Parts: sequence; structure tokens; C-alpha cells
Amino acid sequence: MKFNDLFAGLVVLALSGLVASASWNLPNPSEQPLGPSAFPLILAGLLGFCALILAVNGARATDAGPLVGLADWTRNRGAVLRLLLVPAAVIFYMLFAETLGFLICATAILVVLFLVGGTRSLHAVAMALAAALVIHSIFYLGLGVQLPWGPLEPLRW
Amino acid sequence: MLDAYVTALGMVLDPYVLFVITASAIYGLVVGCIPGLSATMATALLVPLTFFMPPVPAIAAIVTTSTMAIFSGDIPGCLLRIPGTPASAAYVDDSYRMTQQGKPELALGIGLWFSVLGGLFGTAVMMVASPAIADFALGFGSVEFFWIVMLGLGGAVFIGSSTPLKACISLLIGLMIAMIGMNNPAGQPRFTFDSTEMLGGVSLIPMMVGMFACSEVMRHMISDGGAPQVVVKKIGPIFANMWRLTKQYPWQLIRGSAMGTVIGIQPGSGADMAAWMSYAMSKRFSKEPEKFGTGHPEGLIEAGASNNSSLAGAWIPALVFGIPGDSITAIAIGVLMMKNMSPGPTIFVNNPENVYALFLVFVIANLLMLPLGWAIIKIATRVLSVPRRILMPIILLFAIVGSYAINNSLFDVGVMLAFGVLAFVLEENDFPVAPVILGVVLGPLLEEYFINSMIKSDGSLIGLVNRPIAAVLAAITVGIIGWTILVSIRGSKAGKPAAQE
Repeated sequence: MKFNDLFAGLVVLALSGLVASASWNLPNPSEQPLGPSAFPLILAGLLGFCALILAVNGARATDAGPLVGLADWTRNRGAVLRLLLVPAAVIFYMLFAETLGFLICATAILVVLFLVGGTRSLHAVAMALAAALVIHSIFYLGLGVQLPWGPLEPLRW
Repeated sequence: MLDAYVTALGMVLDPYVLFVITASAIYGLVVGCIPGLSATMATALLVPLTFFMPPVPAIAAIVTTSTMAIFSGDIPGCLLRIPGTPASAAYVDDSYRMTQQGKPELALGIGLWFSVLGGLFGTAVMMVASPAIADFALGFGSVEFFWIVMLGLGGAVFIGSSTPLKACISLLIGLMIAMIGMNNPAGQPRFTFDSTEMLGGVSLIPMMVGMFACSEVMRHMISDGGAPQVVVKKIGPIFANMWRLTKQYPWQLIRGSAMGTVIGIQPGSGADMAAWMSYAMSKRFSKEPEKFGTGHPEGLIEAGASNNSSLAGAWIPALVFGIPGDSITAIAIGVLMMKNMSPGPTIFVNNPENVYALFLVFVIANLLMLPLGWAIIKIATRVLSVPRRILMPIILLFAIVGSYAINNSLFDVGVMLAFGVLAFVLEENDFPVAPVILGVVLGPLLEEYFINSMIKSDGSLIGLVNRPIAAVLAAITVGIIGWTILVSIRGSKAGKPAAQE
């Protein structure tokens, strides 16, 4: 996603407006002259000012391109899919780590990412399993982090 | 002080600490050597592990990794013309030309030998200067500290950056992220969206891992990602000509080291700027400037010493004032705070042995660079051919588990992802990412100093400038900001007629 400066400026301006409105009515329990809303309001003001300059510069630029353009890589469908796999993998882990356990989740994520990267399937499975076991050992055995076991609970070592 | 050094030496020579130093050294060398994996990412990925260590090994891990990674970034630059870290980009033409002339060992030897000398120079300056500066700063109040933080942030945004306006926006976004939670002078929850997880603020570790590791994995996904072809088969004796070169170019070595240290101290400019400026300086004062870019050792010596000495230099403001010079020291400050060693002038009063241990780690890391650096150069051709399509998924998994591990919280994994996406989108649109992290680390301090100063002066802004040191710091800060704005206005006016023609 490639925003031109006018669009980016407007988005940031909206953000500064949101922050300002959210901090306007923060309670000031200790009745200080500058309560908890003071600093965020100053920041929102500065951010709004910078955003305005960016937007004005973007509007005056002649070679700015469309408001929201697409970078070169977005025309390559494979690249877009590979990119989306990253958040997909993280969200998959967040959703299923507790039920499937770390080892199964991690191996599954790695196998998919290796295969997409062009590794041969047998290699991918073997390396994924090995990498998952090494990372598991570092955190579970080395640092004592309680990683979830899931259905492999009976095998816990 | 000597007693504290003896205690510190005992802490550093502990077998566990020595093991951590050696392991992080190897890790830093390997990661820095692989193109596309930066020194910053190497450091960020290590932070979750340091969470589980006592203070001294934790800091040792960060210092050693970053020192090694900056040096080994020279290796792919020399062998493939792809600098491993931005700090090696300045002299990549000269070092690659040497490889083409069949002398890769000369370029790599210079990189190694003069990195070590530059690093030791910077460390010596740090050991002498920081306690002295800290002593001077003990009398500072909240007003002085407010301006020091402002100066640090102003320097970061307005000096080292090619797009000051976008850097400024990044910084302000970082400062706002720091406002989340109830860690503010009034103890009032802010911007938490009624979520209990957000009450403590955004956890620093998942955020740093997301911004520097997850985003790099995403960037890799949209590139082709194959391992580059290495043509060099054999690397000859590395240290063969180093003593001769040291005697031939002593001035370049000293000038590069001194320049690097000064640039490192100056907040907002780190190893990459040190290398560029030293390379330019070397060419300017050289008797044979026409040879630069053709495989000439002079610029390599000066810039190679410079980028490593800047690392130690950057630790001076980081330790004494808590102001990071670049993203690596920002990460390091996060680790120091996590270990209850909040940087500031009192760190030399409260934790002298820990600080001296840090100094000694710098010395050890630089000395250790000689044998380990030699080893990595010898196996470099094999390290370079490790395919990134295998590494990147493993890095992603490491980022997930690292974020989870510190609180056993899946929420933190989500935080990691959110900041990874944020960093990716920002960089795609030419917003620099480093100011965000500076803003998040320094935001709470800046607010505290500001509010305390205002309370002392009963809400009058004059209170910010009516003490002499504060006034001087304020003048410098305003000067830097004003000068940058002036230059950019002039630049756009001068640029316009040219663009219209």
C-alpha cells in the first residue's frame, strides 16, 4: 500500500484529532494545573501541525501520483499472498496455541512457510520439526517458559 | 573506583557471563554477516532472552551482539557488494573492488583489525568521559533533563534524517504510544480502551521484536529472497598486512576513531552516519583522493574504525542521560530499565559495578572480535549461502515465542504483530521507524520532566528556561530545529525552479 503525502497527511491529521478528543476530558483527580490530558494534547497539536504541512506539501506536489497507489510488488500475486501469510501465521498461533500446543502449531507454521518459500516437502517437514524442537528447548528447558503442550501433554518432558 | 572495577571484573569473568558473551558474539557475527538481517534486528530478537538473565549478562549480550554485527556487516559488502548492515554501505565500493582484484583477505582484514582498534578507542573515551559527565550532571533538575531529552529527540529527528517532517511524525506517534496506560505523573489510565492488558502500557519487548523482526520478515516476503551467489572460493591470510597498514595510516585510524566517537555521542546519528562522514573526510584530506572507490585501503581504514567507535560513543548519552543515540541503544535502554538500572547520572552512584562491568564487556567484546572475526571470515562463504527462505520463517517463530515468553501472554503476541504491521506500513511510505522507538522509550520520561518542571514553576513556561544550563540546552535544541526547517525551506525554493524547467 503506497499512500501519497496528501493522503498520509490526512490520515495522521485524523489520528491527531482522535487523540485530542480522547484526551480532552481525562479526569484530573489531584487538581494539578497540568493534568493527565495536558501532555497528550500538546502532542496531538504538534502532530496535527506536522500532518497539515505534509498534506499541504502533498497537495502542491505535481508528481505525487494517486491518493492511494500500489507499490510494484502488489502486482505480483505470489508476493501479496506470501506477505499475508505472516499475519496469518501469527493469528493462527494466537488462536490455536492453547488447544494444539506449541510443538504442533510451530511445526505447522514452519512447514507452510518453508513450502511457500520453495523448499521440497520432505525437507520442509524435517526442518520444521527440528527448528520447532530447538526453539522449544531454548525457551522451555533453557528459560523455563511454560509453553502450551496441547494434546501432546502426556509426552511432556 | 578501582574497587568497583575489581568487583566488576569478578562479575564479568563469571563462567555464565563469559558463556553469554561468547554465544552472543557468534550469534551477532552470523546474523550481521547475512544480508537482509540487520544489527538492530539481531539485537531486538535477543531481548526476550535477556529478560530471563541477571543484569550483567543481559547487558553483555546486547553490547556483544551489536558490536559483532556491525563489524560482520562488512563481510557481505566485501564479498557480494551487499552491505550486511547500513553502517557498511559507505565503503562497499572500495572493499568489493579489492575482492574483484583477488584480495578479499585485505578488505576483510582491514574491516576486522581497524574495527577492533576503533572500538577500543571509543570504549576508552566512554570509560573516561561518562563518569565525568555524570558527575557534572548530578546537579541537574527536571528542567535540565527535560531539555536534554528534547535535545536527544530533536537531534534524532532533525540531524540524522533525510525526511525531517516524516521523522517528526514518526517520533510523535512513538510519544503517543508511550502515553498508553497509567504510567504517567497523575497515575490516570489513558487510551486503554477499557482493556486491563493495556493498563500497564504497551510492553516494550513485543513492540521492539515486532518493529524490527516481524517487519523484516514481511519485507522479505515481498522480495525474491534467494541466497546470493558467492564467487570467492578461498580467503588468504587475514592479518598479513595489518601492522604495515597501521604504521602507514596512523592519522586515518585516529581521525576515524575520534570522529566516530563524537558522532556516536551526538544523539540521533549512529554507526552509518559515522562511516559516511569518515569516508568523506578521509577522501577530502587524502594525498591520493582519485584512488578512492578503486580498492584503496585508506577510506576503508578510516570509516571502518569510525563505525565501530561510534557504538561505544552512543553509549555515553545513553548511560549518563538515558538518551539513545540510535535504535540499538534505544533497545539497550529498554533492557537497562527492565533490569532496574534506569540510566541517568545516578547510575554511577547506585550501580557503579554494573556500569564498570558494561565497560569491561566492551573491551572483552572488541578483543574477542579478533579470533571470532577471523573464524567467521574463514567460513563466510558458507554462511552467506544459507538461504533466507529458511531463516525468515524461523525468525518469525522466534519472534512469536519471544513475545509470548515474557508474560506468558498471547496478547503480547498480538502486540508484536500490530507493531510489525505498523513498521512495515511506515517504511513502505518512507516514514523512518527508529524515531518511533525513541519516542516510546523516552515518552514517559519527557512527560514526567515536563510536568514536574511546570509544577515547580506554577504552570509558567518561563520556568523551562530561567536556569542557565537549561537555557543553553534550550537554545541548542531550538537552534537545531530552526536550522533544519530553514534549510528545508531554502531547499524546496531552490529545488522548485529546477523542477519546473
